Amino acid sequence: MSYKDKIDIKQLNVWFGEKHVIRGVDLKIKSNSVTAIMGPSGCGKSTLLRSINRMNDVIKVCKVTGDVFINGKNAYEDNTNVYDLRRQIGMVFQRPNPLPKSIYENVAFGPKIHKMASGKALDKIVEKSLRAAAIWDEVHDRLNDSAFDLSGGQQQRLCIARALAVDPEIILMDEPCSALDPAATAKIEQLIRVLSNDYTVIIVTHNMQQASRVSDYTVFLYLGKIIEEGATKGIFENPQHELTEQYITGEFG
Amino acid sequence: MGSPTKERIFFVALGVPVIISLLAFFWIAATLLTGVGSLNLDMLTTSALKGGAFEMIVGTVYLFAGAAAIAGPIGIFAAIYLVEYAPSGKITRIIDQAINNLAGVPSIIIGLFGYTFFSRQLGFGISLLSGWLTLSLMILPIVIRGSEEAIRIVPTSFKQAALALGATKWKSISLTTLVAAAPGVVTSLILGIARVAGETAAILFTSSVLITRGLPSSPFQPVMTLSFNMYVKIVARGESPENVFGIALILFFIVLSFSLVAIILRVYYRRKQPWLD
Repeated sequence: MSYKDKIDIKQLNVWFGEKHVIRGVDLKIKSNSVTAIMGPSGCGKSTLLRSINRMNDVIKVCKVTGDVFINGKNAYEDNTNVYDLRRQIGMVFQRPNPLPKSIYENVAFGPKIHKMASGKALDKIVEKSLRAAAIWDEVHDRLNDSAFDLSGGQQQRLCIARALAVDPEIILMDEPCSALDPAATAKIEQLIRVLSNDYTVIIVTHNMQQASRVSDYTVFLYLGKIIEEGATKGIFENPQHELTEQYITGEFG
Repeated sequence: MGSPTKERIFFVALGVPVIISLLAFFWIAATLLTGVGSLNLDMLTTSALKGGAFEMIVGTVYLFAGAAAIAGPIGIFAAIYLVEYAPSGKITRIIDQAINNLAGVPSIIIGLFGYTFFSRQLGFGISLLSGWLTLSLMILPIVIRGSEEAIRIVPTSFKQAALALGATKWKSISLTTLVAAAPGVVTSLILGIARVAGETAAILFTSSVLITRGLPSSPFQPVMTLSFNMYVKIVARGESPENVFGIALILFFIVLSFSLVAIILRVYYRRKQPWLD
């Protein structure tokens, strides 16, 4: 089995109780790329994202069938260590969610619980992550301040740093800029392009302009099914499917 | 009738109960302060055998400290379980109702239960231990409900962030939710202590006696307490209330300071919880 595809989703179906939210999705994600998942509200974008790092497991009424292969290994196998899986896959949420701790402790949280480092080695990881998230310059002299002292955009970059600190291979972003102002959004979009050099990034977005700015590949999801997917340029310039074209031209939200 | 007038009426009407409560509080304090004459600092350290209140103060402290040490951990873990782990359903609702009922049980009945079960059935007799166990039943619902509320208002986004980093469910709760809820949990424990520090009925026949020789040397011995002392002096000995105002004042200050500490803690930590804004 070749795994130059970082992620290989096969026949994924997700139900929330009776509601069939993801319907038979097949999707391959390439390494070191940025893939945008877009579609109208409620079509299952977040659910699809959360199926990759099994965050849907915490929802009691959620049922999943199908496979999600990551580096060739099925995340939904019985003997999967879901905690290690989630360490390998970073997640950034729609609204910044810093932990009720200092800036330093936020970033150090992941490495600490996985016993990855301590002392000076941990300090190095924290600095490296904050630099990688393009926020080191703004916080290096106040690492012990509460994370809540930061602005929204800074908090979100802190959350990115926090996700990077555990050395993931994949980063999932669920509409990471929707709660931010344009300036902060621009900073993060810039960051995403840089991150794709070292990580595989999947970003859910409502914002088509953002998808075309930031991603290499785009997936159009509608009512839980993939309607069209491919290189971003192609999708936007030459959509094959009627629904895709309607969505792109704004005929429905 | 215009709106501004209505607003004014409501303002005044709602302010009246506040004024009444404050007046009641100050009246009690003032009455007790007439007893400040019979109170001097020596009383706090002199043995009761010589007219002081030392053993009573220590006994009261021993009692509520032990009860808190029992009810605190049990209550906190019960609250965590009820909020984070219990499946929603009939059994959980019954448990919730049972806890509410426990809070409403008159203290004399709790005392009776304590006497029957701890003192007689389990053979602990009139002792600190019986008192601890009995009083913990009164602290427990206060701690459970207060902790539940403190845990519930913590945003779930903290837990989600921890889970997404690969934390186990317990770690995501203990390292984020509980840390954020800690001030509320501690406050509820302090309020529980304030509730039982002056408790009389529950310790009436489970743990307190009028006179002991020195401090208890083991949990199986009884204690002297401030509240029991006042009760006996007035009811059993028919002394006039003024005689015990000194003791009452001590007890009043103990309970008051616990309540004040709870308020101060709440105000102090509120600033450190910006997610509540």
